[in-house]
Amino acid sequence: MLTSILDVLIAGLLLGGLYALIAMGLSLQYGVARVFNISHGEFIMLGGMATLTLFTVFKINPLIAIVICGPITFVLGYIIHRTFFRHLLTSLPIFGEITILCTLFLWTVFRILADYNYVRLNQFAALAICLVIAIILDFALNRTAFRRIHESRVAAGVFESTSMLFSFGLMFIIKNIAFIGWGPSIRSYSFLQQPVSIAGALFGMNRLVTLGFSILIGLAFYFFLTRTRIGKAIRAAASDPTVAQLMGVNINQVLALCFGLGAAMAGIAGVLISMCYPVNANMGIEYTIIAIIVVALGGLGSIPGSFIGGFALGIIGSIVSFFEPGLALVAYYFIFGLLLLIRPKGILGK
Amino acid sequence: MLQVKNINVFYGRIQVLWDLCLEVKEGEILALVGANGAGKTTLLNTISGIIRPSSGTISFLGRRIDNLPPHEIVQLGISHIPEGRRLFADMSVLENLEMGAYSRGSWKTRQKTLEEVFHLFPRLRERAGQPARTLSGGEQQMLAMGRGLMSKPKLCLIDEPSNGLAPKLVQEVFQIIRSLREQGITILLVEQNVRQTLEIADRACVLENGRIALEGCGEELLKSEHVRKAYLGL
Ligand SMILES: Nc1ncnc2c1ncn2[C@@H]1O[C@H](COP(=O)(O)OP(=O)(O)O)[C@@H](O)[C@H]1O
Ligand SMILES: [Mg+2]
Repeated sequence: MLTSILDVLIAGLLLGGLYALIAMGLSLQYGVARVFNISHGEFIMLGGMATLTLFTVFKINPLIAIVICGPITFVLGYIIHRTFFRHLLTSLPIFGEITILCTLFLWTVFRILADYNYVRLNQFAALAICLVIAIILDFALNRTAFRRIHESRVAAGVFESTSMLFSFGLMFIIKNIAFIGWGPSIRSYSFLQQPVSIAGALFGMNRLVTLGFSILIGLAFYFFLTRTRIGKAIRAAASDPTVAQLMGVNINQVLALCFGLGAAMAGIAGVLISMCYPVNANMGIEYTIIAIIVVALGGLGSIPGSFIGGFALGIIGSIVSFFEPGLALVAYYFIFGLLLLIRPKGILGK
Repeated sequence: MLQVKNINVFYGRIQVLWDLCLEVKEGEILALVGANGAGKTTLLNTISGIIRPSSGTISFLGRRIDNLPPHEIVQLGISHIPEGRRLFADMSVLENLEMGAYSRGSWKTRQKTLEEVFHLFPRLRERAGQPARTLSGGEQQMLAMGRGLMSKPKLCLIDEPSNGLAPKLVQEVFQIIRSLREQGITILLVEQNVRQTLEIADRACVLENGRIALEGCGEELLKSEHVRKAYLGL
């Protein structure tokens, strides 16, 4: 009896480490960058699928995949913030949006003309031409008409809702691209599966590695936030973005950094998940939901709260799975509902 | 030192500053007084780059700054100490001060600047490790001012520093502002506390409904019929 309680607790910690990592990423994106990122799980999926491909096709060790997927998802997140979210922060459609809209418009016009044989051109060449025209137009408008209004920011509440909607769209975009690339099949590989005995119970080495990395990243991130210049700027921006700017913080850079770091945590979590569980292009949403529940449990925007909440939910999940494996996700929803009724602020919320 | 020329500022469709001109001369204390809602905070926010004027220019030391983002304006030597203190509540006193020196140039010399700020505000040294939210109102204002000095500014924009403080602390705040001027820092001071402000100011402007209504040296305005009636209740 005692050993099985220990088993369940350790299994809960192993699961909780992953949850903590995922939730810290979302918490950073929501708490500082103010993006309630519905596409968070898709970055997890990208990390997982990329690791699978790297391992099965290129024979690259999944532990090395961490240092490949982490930076790549970081850069991806950073760029997405610097382009799309950056423009949702200001009140006018500017660089990026005009490009996309104009390209689509011009290309549609071209295709109609092509249908009636008015023009003869390869449609990809036409797309490239439309894109170039759109970028020039966008650039010109930015330099002239929109120059002054460029930086005027929308209200925080407006950004929170538009950015959430955008991330919802982003979820579909990333997922569909992944489907094209990887197909819908569920796949796994075996890595470090030799059993290790802890207090009489057997656990896969891969799961212990997962927990180790989660804790390591959590601690490293804590020191980054409390000890470094940029880390302090992130905390200041979370507390009062306007005043942070008055201190000399380049707010757009810091927000993009936070979004990128959140995406990197998701990417790395994806790598770790793929070491233990099967992955497929459709897996993202489940982890997004878990991340949202953990973030709500720990307190919206509280990064230590997310870390603790992750372990709490992991242990709960492990206890429920011990009795009825199929009910873990149901239990999560139940806790989420209960939480909203009893303590909507979460464990460490203010 | 700072020239504001014909700026118009809007919040959405509502115009708040109308064709406003203002000049701050090197080494002076320029006071800006006016009723609630006159647009004083808006003017400071426009100078420090938080809001953009829809027309007009602002230049500092001969350089146009009205199209620069706030973080670049700080680097040029303008520090804005905002209305209502706006401290980073969960960060320690020391971390708040460090944030004040965030710009690359001032970050390198932050230890030395920190000593100067602690010398000016000894209470902050005692409280260095505490979270900012645990400070009393007076201490919070000292921290806000100390934080603003950490960037080694040439020009300080100070927005209602005496607001909500006990009379004795108000005296102290005005004393400190005077001592800053003696150290060579130019000051644009926004205040509701008209009498005391006009007493320490070299020059003063009265802002009414987004326009400069009166301008002159501090003593002149203290004697002016309009100011006595509208702001001093005499
Ligand atoms: N963020 C804002 N959005 C819309 N209107 C604002 C905003 N901030 C201030 N105002 C309006 O602008 C006017 C000037 O405000 P403000 O500059 O704060 O005045 P003061 O600092 O002199 O009290 C007021 O009428 C106020 O209602
Ligand atoms: Mg004000």
